[in-house]
Amino acid sequence: MTILLKVEDLSRSFGGLIVASNISLALESGDRAALIGPNGAGKTTFINLVTGSLAPSSGRIELAGKDITRAASVERVRLGLVRSFQVSRVFREMAVRDHVALAILQREGKSGRMFGDPWKIAAVASEAPAILEELGLAVVAHEPVSQIAYGQQRLLELAIALVLRPKVLLLDEPAAGVPRGEARRIEQALARLPSDIAVLMIEHDIDLVFRFARRVIVLAAGRIICEGPPAAVAADPHVREVYLGSYANGSRSV
Amino acid sequence: MTSASIADSVKEKKTTALSSDLIGTLAIAVLGGAAYVVFPDDLGLLTRILAAAFFVLSLCLVTGICGIATLGHAVMYGAGAYAAGYFCVQGLTDPIALIVVGAMAGAVMGAVSGAIILRTSGLPQLVLSIALVQLMHAAANKASSITGGSDGLIGISPAPVLGLFAFDFYGRTAYLFGLVLLVCVFAVLQRLVRSPFGLLCRGIMQDRVRVAAMGVSVYPVLIRMYTISGAVAGIGGALIAIATGVVGLDSVSFAWSAEALVMLVLGGASSLYGALIGTVVFMTFEHFVSAASPFHWLAIVGALLIAVVLFLPKGLQSFPARFLVKLRGGRRDHSS
Repeated sequence: MTILLKVEDLSRSFGGLIVASNISLALESGDRAALIGPNGAGKTTFINLVTGSLAPSSGRIELAGKDITRAASVERVRLGLVRSFQVSRVFREMAVRDHVALAILQREGKSGRMFGDPWKIAAVASEAPAILEELGLAVVAHEPVSQIAYGQQRLLELAIALVLRPKVLLLDEPAAGVPRGEARRIEQALARLPSDIAVLMIEHDIDLVFRFARRVIVLAAGRIICEGPPAAVAADPHVREVYLGSYANGSRSV
Repeated sequence: MTSASIADSVKEKKTTALSSDLIGTLAIAVLGGAAYVVFPDDLGLLTRILAAAFFVLSLCLVTGICGIATLGHAVMYGAGAYAAGYFCVQGLTDPIALIVVGAMAGAVMGAVSGAIILRTSGLPQLVLSIALVQLMHAAANKASSITGGSDGLIGISPAPVLGLFAFDFYGRTAYLFGLVLLVCVFAVLQRLVRSPFGLLCRGIMQDRVRVAAMGVSVYPVLIRMYTISGAVAGIGGALIAIATGVVGLDSVSFAWSAEALVMLVLGGASSLYGALIGTVVFMTFEHFVSAASPFHWLAIVGALLIAVVLFLPKGLQSFPARFLVKLRGGRRDHSS
């Protein structure tokens, strides 16, 4: 398996506060990993470091063999490192279909074209309807985002990420704030992600994590404290102590 | 629905954009022509409306489409006006060449001022834009050997258009020249707004972080739109220089920039039609109401603006649509 994302000894501190400490991890093609940890463990900081919104104090990041530690965040996206947002960041007054069109145009390097109809461009005309239909968004294709359900907005986030054809996909709480029924639709979509891409999901919903991930990475106080298959991680006494305390003490078993 | 027909429904437009664009452009030409016939004694005012229309359209491109906050847009308009005026005084009298000069001067000013104000956003951007227009105003005042300072740049007498249509005392040529220009520019801008680039700019306006997460470098895109906007404003400035034969300091003023923003909001910031409607309503209002009540006209404009912002947040251009919806709703009530 080829390694798509390699993070080595990534650290970041704000003054004396260490928010990421010597984090190393590798994602392979086809990986389905989840990053979990209590609030304030540094999950979002980690995502920001990897996507380039935040510069690391030390360490190294490689995307498909290319050093991107100093690359600008837009450059990382173009190289195939794509993220979704924890809170849906879609354009409220733009039609659903136009979001997907814009992402496809950008991927094709045609978003700067100053003439012509976006929908006459072959890649948009062929791909956009397909992805919208696959995610069940075709019926709301012409609606502005402000008129569609929150779960559909999350699916749209996913659609945007997918048409960018990522090598590595970072999903920041893809099902956060979505009612149960709609969450199932999102989970189905997650299960059907292209098999060759590496996916790292950050998620609070442990049930969802354990259904989706084949590998779980536990972050606490800015460092990785445990890594392995879901069952092994759930059984780890250290993890139970820092993170799964309520689960371990409660009636539910994991 | 079969999957093929679903795909088609995603692709198809609710209305065919091209034909509605064509109808809109024709409507402007027809209304502009009608105004020429109906108000032959007000061609001076009508020409000033045309020049302002370029200016407000230009502002619409950056504020309405890209979400850039600016109260200093007159730097581009003024650059176009002074450049066209200066070149004309220096001997380049062909009006079409002067329009090109104005467009280029506006574009350069757009690129330069854009490079400065687009580094920031929101309130700092607004303040920077005001600072820029005040600076340029002071510079134009100081450089009186070129601009004529507070006396204005005078002695602009352009040659006949295409060597055939001389600029007359009544302003007929100036108006028709401006109207043809406006129709052409409007048609181009409609295409621009619907293009992939237009879509990208609207995305930037709504959430630039999201657009950046798609791999877009936002800053160069905005500079490009700002440059285009500068060219459009520059055409408006050049037109007023050609039509009136004089360029004053008020063409690079904060007040003129602010008025453009009022016109844009009045008509509807996110629509090119809104820009035109706002311009016509505001300028007409200014002309007639200020003549009738020189001290109170601004209060009346203020009241109008408040009413529009409260009851038609998308501007006057949204009025017909809302009116139609009401009408249809009413009909449905009757039938049920």
